[in-house]
Amino acid sequence: MMLRSIWALALATSIGGTLWAQSDSSSTAEDDFSQYDNLGFVDAGAKRFCSPKIEGLSPAKLISLGYDYQGAYNLSASNIFKIEDGTYAFDPNGQLTVISRGSQAKVNATYGVRAGFNIPVISKTNLVWQMGANYWNTQYAYDEPPTTESNLLHQTLSEHGLRTTGVNTTVFKPLSSKTFLLFQGSADLSGTYGIEFMPAQYLRYSAALIYGRRPTEKKQWGLGLARTYRVGEINYIPVVLYNSTDALNKWGAEVLFPARAHVRRTINPRNMLFAGYELEGQSYRLWRDPASGVDLRKEDLEIRRGEARFRMVYEFSLKDFIWLSVQAGYRLQYRFDVDRLVDGVEIYRAFGLLRDDSYAQNNVLGNPLYFNVSLNLVSP
Amino acid sequence: MLRKLSLWAASALIAVTSLNFELQESPGDKLIGVWEPSNGRSRIKIDKIGTKYYGRVVWLIEPNDPETNLPKTDKNNPDAALKNVPLKGYRMLKDFVYQTDGTWSEGTIYDPLNGSTYNCVIKMKDKNTLDIRGYIGVQALGRTDVWKRLATAPAKK
Repeated sequence: MMLRSIWALALATSIGGTLWAQSDSSSTAEDDFSQYDNLGFVDAGAKRFCSPKIEGLSPAKLISLGYDYQGAYNLSASNIFKIEDGTYAFDPNGQLTVISRGSQAKVNATYGVRAGFNIPVISKTNLVWQMGANYWNTQYAYDEPPTTESNLLHQTLSEHGLRTTGVNTTVFKPLSSKTFLLFQGSADLSGTYGIEFMPAQYLRYSAALIYGRRPTEKKQWGLGLARTYRVGEINYIPVVLYNSTDALNKWGAEVLFPARAHVRRTINPRNMLFAGYELEGQSYRLWRDPASGVDLRKEDLEIRRGEARFRMVYEFSLKDFIWLSVQAGYRLQYRFDVDRLVDGVEIYRAFGLLRDDSYAQNNVLGNPLYFNVSLNLVSP
Repeated sequence: MLRKLSLWAASALIAVTSLNFELQESPGDKLIGVWEPSNGRSRIKIDKIGTKYYGRVVWLIEPNDPETNLPKTDKNNPDAALKNVPLKGYRMLKDFVYQTDGTWSEGTIYDPLNGSTYNCVIKMKDKNTLDIRGYIGVQALGRTDVWKRLATAPAKK
């Protein structure tokens, strides 16, 4: 009898062990979560690093396909003057030498596709590296199509529009649980080119390096230096990063000054409203197809486009990771002048502090309302 | 004498059964344990149920909702019926299967901060470090977080 009992016990233990292995291995005592309060890493040397994001930040866009539309405005193009050695050239009669006469025209709309993608290449606790590419196409719909008698700027914009194709990279290097370095770099080919790309010598490089701190999960800030074309021409400027979210996850700020600054209102994590501004700009090489009549390639002319966009943005999840972003606002021109590079070399004016070279053409644009809509795949 | 022999035999059987049980542990069971994501704001206990692995939130650095001062719930879950489920104890890793290539896949990870569920693959870099990659559709569209194993005995101070 005793023997039978022991065998039964042994059998039960064996079966019980097997059943246990097939059931939830979480113990019944797990609801006492206090046992997890005071645990340390198994690896004594394991370090904590801060993450690139803060809580409540709007989601990063992995893939974006959008459409940008500006309403009607007048574009007043001045004469295109000849520039020699950084100053206006004069003819034998003492008059400014003019390449193309100025004229004003009405632009009914400026519109185009904007596409971009960003893919994480390395995503580790101690290093995040992302690569991306973007394509922006801007077309100018004139009220009356410019003719060969019109100013060259109007002809060029009407026939070819402006295009930017670029690649970019972002590296986030946490130094500790509270400090980090952020590097952003891009190479853009901007101009009036079509299917035939411009040579790589016309690539324009931008970069920013920021040292930052992340004192809490809901705040990060940093200071750095940027080489940028955001106001149209090359500049080296200080930059300030500031992202924060309030304790209730309702309000926040997303700032990379001076490039952009927005106040964020989080309706819920899938619905966000923003108010603020962004500076946009590039230097566009005037590069026409010789077949169209006028070839500006040897003129070394570039449109220095810089503008501020004051706007409201609404971003929300359509379904899971597909987000729609709708923005509307006011486009304020800062610069749309044409510069002549000296022997193809960039002019660094430092807002007139270092050089005061004249522009080959000074243009004035009206300031229209605009809207932008984009469909985005957002990052985990 | 017979009784002693019987006891010895039973003990031996139990020992062999236990050993057999130990030997039957899958190599994937090395995932079982308590882990801390890189932001240090939560701790996840990974267990095995049947042949699959699951992870539950067992600790939060900020256990209470600052808005209500009550224990945090899954308030960002798009399913209204789940918004009141406590976050502590929430199963955020689900259905992971150990693969012959040494990874755990076919599972999902849930992010309570935005209420989204992602495909996920887990790789063990070393016995105390996990690469947890959440992704959308294809692994290229994702983000990796590094989790560290925690000692289940209280840390020395």
